[in-house]
Amino acid sequence: MIFNSLTFLIFVAIFLPVYFKLKGRARLLLALGGSYLFYGWWDWRFLSLIVISTLVDFVLGLKMSLAKDAPSRKKLLYVSMVLNLGFLGFFKYFDFFTESLVTMLQSLGLSPSMHTLGIILPVGISFYTFQSLSYTIDIYRKKLNPEPDVLKFATFVAFWPQLVAGPIVRASDFLPQFRKDHDFDWNRAMSGTAQVLWGFFKKVAIADSLAPFVEQCFAEPQAFASVNLIIAVVFYSFQIYCDFSGYSDIAIGFARILGFDFPANFRTPYFSRSFSEFWTRWHISLSSWLRDYLYIPLGGNRHGTANTYKNLMLTMVLGGLWHGANWTFVFWGFLHGIYLVVQRLWGHTFGVMMCALRFPKILQSTINIALVYFFTNVAWIFFRSPDLATAMQVINGIAGLEGFAFVNVMNKFVVLKGFLLTGMLLAVEITDFKWGYGRLVLQKPAFRVASFAVLLWLIAIFGTFGSNAFIYFQF
Amino acid sequence: MKKSTWIIAFLALTFAGDRLGGWALGTIIRDGQFRYSKLYRPEAGCDILFAGSSRGLIFYQPYIEAKTGLTTCNLSYNGLPLEMAAALLKDHLDRHTPPKVLLIEVTMLDKRMNENLTANFNLYAPYSERLSVLLKEKFPKVYYGGEVSHLYRYNGEVFQRALYYWKRPDKDWLLDRVISPTMIANVTNQPVFNFDYTDEMLVQLADVVAYAKAKGVHVELVVNPYYPPFAATIGNLDVLTAAIEKATGIPVRNYATSVTDQEGFGDYQHLNKRGSRLFIDKLLEDEVLPALEKKE
Repeated sequence: MIFNSLTFLIFVAIFLPVYFKLKGRARLLLALGGSYLFYGWWDWRFLSLIVISTLVDFVLGLKMSLAKDAPSRKKLLYVSMVLNLGFLGFFKYFDFFTESLVTMLQSLGLSPSMHTLGIILPVGISFYTFQSLSYTIDIYRKKLNPEPDVLKFATFVAFWPQLVAGPIVRASDFLPQFRKDHDFDWNRAMSGTAQVLWGFFKKVAIADSLAPFVEQCFAEPQAFASVNLIIAVVFYSFQIYCDFSGYSDIAIGFARILGFDFPANFRTPYFSRSFSEFWTRWHISLSSWLRDYLYIPLGGNRHGTANTYKNLMLTMVLGGLWHGANWTFVFWGFLHGIYLVVQRLWGHTFGVMMCALRFPKILQSTINIALVYFFTNVAWIFFRSPDLATAMQVINGIAGLEGFAFVNVMNKFVVLKGFLLTGMLLAVEITDFKWGYGRLVLQKPAFRVASFAVLLWLIAIFGTFGSNAFIYFQF
Repeated sequence: MKKSTWIIAFLALTFAGDRLGGWALGTIIRDGQFRYSKLYRPEAGCDILFAGSSRGLIFYQPYIEAKTGLTTCNLSYNGLPLEMAAALLKDHLDRHTPPKVLLIEVTMLDKRMNENLTANFNLYAPYSERLSVLLKEKFPKVYYGGEVSHLYRYNGEVFQRALYYWKRPDKDWLLDRVISPTMIANVTNQPVFNFDYTDEMLVQLADVVAYAKAKGVHVELVVNPYYPPFAATIGNLDVLTAAIEKATGIPVRNYATSVTDQEGFGDYQHLNKRGSRLFIDKLLEDEVLPALEKKE
């Protein structure tokens, strides 16, 4: 089931009133049943993976807390990791690594008889695997007590608002929230609804309006003038932002209505003044997961400069691979790793240079934001392209600057609409950042009513209602 | 205020805003200069009527009007599917004095046309029973969505264009660029291009031709020029034109390779203004379009 579908609207219309009518375990059962229905609507067979992961991690969590010594706990953690990462590895990466191995062996003149299996990727597997893993790792580290109630734990793993595309919520943040029933709260419902509507606007009005232009250019980059390719890259940066942050907003908003607080997953990432700042504003739940469960265990920045760079690169490359089984994602992660390393090497010098040149603060910030945005877009080209060759075609097409004139812009109305919508997005984000527009919506009922109505009108005029799946479903 | 009052206020505001916004946009569209806005107003009769997909847009109207001294209307739109074109043509023929000549660019008989474009015409549904029926049949969700939310009728590119042409004529709508060197270099790598037409399309075309003829309109079926090296990659143009001739009973004038000036093309399938003038000169020469001195 996807949020931008009629089926989901019907689901929510039934789920919400029943949820608030029920109490205690009956409510938990509804939440779990609803979550399994939500997931199973796509393909019920893959529910078994969630159920197995849930049961195994639940039992391992309990056993780990009872284990007398560290080696026993470690063994149990390994079982959890092997199972969770085994599922992820098999369903997501088996075909990819097989294909890559075959290509490599063929380039060495060998003719291996290995075949891919054409495995279907279960939706959301990367998200719930990481969520579930954080639980067993935190118990292993003695940062978390195991959840004794299987119903609560299963609901934590499968909770429908964030099951298929995050945010990845830590057990230590989420499980304690199950300790009491959450009554319907008008203010929470209003702030949740505001976030849901804003998320829908970002997804169906902005992301889905930008998508066709991007799709056309990346499908056949050699056929388009450089001006179109530049627009396509800029549009993609906003498409993926609005698609993914829109999903997160809807998820967080619904969770809030249901009485749960999820951490923010995006904070105006394209206003970042450095790449390290970017990663504290983009897909925050994943970047903090990678920081806490990969980068720091690898040694973080504790063992000298060279090791820090190595750890950064490894974390970013694996973060790239997490997104998908394709070398384009690996290279995207690699580029971000390079950006972080380069920033550590020369970022300070660059800042000092700008100060020496007496650039005003605002100009310094603008230059930094522009540079981060530019290089982020270079990386997005690889992220969006189906293969590395296409990414290079896009880059060559842009670098050639052929047909760099307004007359060569194709589908001018689509482009105009795209810029209008991204302009609206930026205007709202800037006003929210500067003047707390979001708080105003929550505090002033009249303003709230007007904002909701305006969002619905804008969705009616600009929305794309083809039930387009969210980009991050494929991850 | 009570919470229930706020909910009622929200619902009332949303509904009123939707209706008011729908009315305001409807007024703008109705009074605009866009081709379909004029089609659904009483005054838009013309001597020569054109229809086609984006390839029908290359009938550059200002030049034709200057050369013929006749008035023109063009119902073409990028990716316009035949069934939609047929509905628009019939609406035109029903509502206005029949034109002297109707030119249909027939390469729109192709499944690659944008079928979803029909849903974009929801904003004109209130003015046309024919359009409403077509929408109800093909895109019921869109049609009834437009009934629920009047603003939703204006969700689409056709509305954006109508807004753009609110105060300015759209007769100049022709992409005026020159084909890029990359496209020229890549033309030899193009796969064979085959028209993917159906028998149903042939029946629809024959029907609209008969409808126009019954109103006393002289109908011309034409294939507009392609960039010649690209035209060489088309596999079944002869088959398509033969099928059309058989279905409609009138000859198809094939101008696919009639313009050879490379500078006259915007891309493989579209002439720019320069190419359009060359093409129109040929149409005049062949008397497909009536020349100025012969208009009486």
